[in-house]
Amino acid sequence: MKFIHRSILGLTTFAAALLMPLGNAHAADTLNVYSIWPENWARPMLQEFEKTSGIKVNFLRFSSGEALARLIAEKGNPKVDVLFGGPVETYGAGVKEGIFEAYTPPSAAVLTARFKHGSGMWTAIADDPLVFMTNKKFLTDNKLAAPTSWNDLLNPAYANMLQMADARTSGTAVTRIFSVLEIYGRDEAKAFDFMKRMGKSIQTYTKSGGGGTLPVGLGQAAGGIFFIVDALDTKAKGYDVEISFPKEGIGSAAEGIAMVKGAKNPDAAKKLIDWATSPVMQSLYAAYKINFVPAHPSVKTEASLAAVLKDAKIIPIDDEYAGANRKRIVERWVAEVLNAK
Amino acid sequence: MSVTAPSRSLLRRDPLIAGIVLVLWVLLGIFVLYPLACLFARAFVDGGVVTFQPLVDIVNNANHRRAFGNSLVLALAVGIGGTALGFLFAFAAVRAGLSKRVMGFIDTATLLPLISPPFTISVAILFSFGARGLITYDLLGIKGYAVYGFLSTAGAEIITYFPIAYLTLRPILASIDPNIENAAFSMGASRWCVFRTMTMPLSIPGVANAFLLLFACSLADFATPLILAGNDFPVLPTEAFLQITGQFDLRGGALLSIMLLVPAAIVFFLQRYWLAGRSYVTVTGKAGSRSRAEILTPAMRYSLFALCGAVALLVVYFYALLLFASLVTAFGANHAFTLKHYHVIFTEGIPAIRDTLIIAAIGMPLGGLYGVLVGYLVSRKTFFGRQALELVSMINYALPGTIVGIAYLLAFNDKPVELTGTATIIIACYIFRYSPTGIRATIALLHQIDKSLEEASESLGATSFTTFRRITLPLIMPAFFTGLGVVFIRSMTAISATIFLISINWTLVTVRILENMTELSLGPAAAFSVFVVVIVYFVLWLIGRMLARVRSGGAGDGGRVESILGG
Repeated sequence: MKFIHRSILGLTTFAAALLMPLGNAHAADTLNVYSIWPENWARPMLQEFEKTSGIKVNFLRFSSGEALARLIAEKGNPKVDVLFGGPVETYGAGVKEGIFEAYTPPSAAVLTARFKHGSGMWTAIADDPLVFMTNKKFLTDNKLAAPTSWNDLLNPAYANMLQMADARTSGTAVTRIFSVLEIYGRDEAKAFDFMKRMGKSIQTYTKSGGGGTLPVGLGQAAGGIFFIVDALDTKAKGYDVEISFPKEGIGSAAEGIAMVKGAKNPDAAKKLIDWATSPVMQSLYAAYKINFVPAHPSVKTEASLAAVLKDAKIIPIDDEYAGANRKRIVERWVAEVLNAK
Repeated sequence: MSVTAPSRSLLRRDPLIAGIVLVLWVLLGIFVLYPLACLFARAFVDGGVVTFQPLVDIVNNANHRRAFGNSLVLALAVGIGGTALGFLFAFAAVRAGLSKRVMGFIDTATLLPLISPPFTISVAILFSFGARGLITYDLLGIKGYAVYGFLSTAGAEIITYFPIAYLTLRPILASIDPNIENAAFSMGASRWCVFRTMTMPLSIPGVANAFLLLFACSLADFATPLILAGNDFPVLPTEAFLQITGQFDLRGGALLSIMLLVPAAIVFFLQRYWLAGRSYVTVTGKAGSRSRAEILTPAMRYSLFALCGAVALLVVYFYALLLFASLVTAFGANHAFTLKHYHVIFTEGIPAIRDTLIIAAIGMPLGGLYGVLVGYLVSRKTFFGRQALELVSMINYALPGTIVGIAYLLAFNDKPVELTGTATIIIACYIFRYSPTGIRATIALLHQIDKSLEEASESLGATSFTTFRRITLPLIMPAFFTGLGVVFIRSMTAISATIFLISINWTLVTVRILENMTELSLGPAAAFSVFVVVIVYFVLWLIGRMLARVRSGGAGDGGRVESILGG
């Protein structure tokens, strides 16, 4: 009879275990965060925050499209309190979807206009320009100079040798597309015509913005367009790559932070936003070799980073225009560029 | 959902069994039928009206049709290529007279792809072939070779999945007595004639089964194409994945995955109703002393050995590359030895490892128990709706993981059963998706055990539970461990369904590996993969030991790790 009891017990536990949600604990001094910054950037920053504040931070990393999609899906029953990092157009699109709660940190007062949202929906923590990154050996083998114009990328030498991010998931890709739109004065027909021509040289569109850096570093791909933070990291690891800027200009995305609407830990969320937008966090970039340009005016850009950017023509991406058109432009890109062949 | 009421006679005869059947139906209702219903509802119901217009739109979309076509072509290629390779390996194993040591090497090499995260091979291929690939450029000096596309994707999937074909075909080929082949020789038939008219026809059901298994694996795999397919070769599971993760277009994802349902269902029913009962047995009376197989000339034997050895070496090379990448500072740029990637996974990676192990540890016994229970009930008890129960329990197994993941996401995101963000949803997904292997193993074992054993026990006055405990349970222990092992392996390595189900509270090692690989921060990804392979191998070894103990005294190949993986 013992066995019967045990079986019934086992089966009941089985049923109960399946029906009982595990986890979901929200202690008072914890904070849940979706990070768009890759772990190697986000983790040291959030750990420093844990040290100074005593608040425990749980975070999960997603590409910007994924994070945005999750937040929209969880609207009404949000699972996290803060969206951390990621290009400004993602925040623009999020504002349109009503997923953020307005909060203006003290530092916002000294930020320039492009580093904060008009009604405090998001605030910038860094600036992140795009760059061209090419493999040096490829350049020497093909007797090419590093590209200094968008049109250089149309050179047949690059045929089937470029890697860039997929706009369905990656914010890097969306910033790139809005860069091209700005170059062509927001003339969509011309911009898409260029992207279609460049698309003929693409080997693969990667899920993450940094996905192509290693293939370019190894020479499996000739080059691509990446955020400077990823490109300089590739170089720092020892890969022989060259960084260059197009003379027509290239986009730069302010990297944001925002409180999620309905956040379950709003006080902790505000503390993180205050800290991240202040010089305290942004002066840590250099120490951790994170090549973001600080958004706060009182933090100096690290010297070697400033040297790389010295002659670059940078076009800031306008969050309102980009946010309002993001969905439509991405869909058009999927239809006309991704599926061009 | 209408619960099929157990017949009154069973209720009176065996109230306990009736109760268990009822609980199983409730669980299957919640975790199999309800999510599937939600998937169809999301795809075809719009504002309370059933409409097939969205499906028509999807089917009319040339890009989706192309992705669908690509998926079928890929699955076909992987099915054919993988089965052929698996057949050669199985044939070599049972006919080429290889030494124990060589067989041990080949078996270990073929086991690796089965117990590692699915994209490990993809990444190794990515770095070995291509414009500056280690093999294409550094070794062979080929310039400008394009690694992305159909060929590499199919190659990666074939290498990943052919061991399944090997494990399926080996026992079947082993059961063909070489004496019959030899008899045909002595009557003057040529080798080719013997192979064509005897060996081949006898192994046809196994070959067909292996093909269908591989076809289904390829159809469900989104990670390999995500890394290797490139710009020119979009496939459906990857498109559905990007549609959902990138745009959270649940309806679009649901519709795309429903397109996958059609070939998956065809494969399932072919397997079930066409192949079932088509096993050919060679009747030779008591097998005498087995004579040496003569179907192969020494030259053929050596070329078969060389071929299998080369493939096994290639697999080992891929994993050596991964091990190397996990131990150097920056693969391809700085090959200084370092343990920092392991330091990363054992500090920052600990939450993912802990979550994965907790989920696997909870899922494993539940999955084993569930498999044995369902297998026992459907093969030994008669009750109303028995066949329906068996069929429903197989559904999540037969569907591509992408569909199951999307269906769970749709079903459990809101009330009445809100489970997203919990470990429960991931555990349930693993149990109902991977326990069917345990169910089938239980059914197969019970087929071999004569019912009269149990009847004798009952006629001597034992209750049905004493009988179950004293007679049936010991006999089906191997199936329990099979179920256990498969659920564990899948909990550590599967990704296609559960990538939709991770949350801030519960994440998985496989998802972290994919994240690292798509970011191409290769070091930690490689270290994680090595860790998974090692831990899965260790647990399988443990289970093998337990299995050997359970089987001690009995016949069979107790203790072989592979024996719980076949089919």
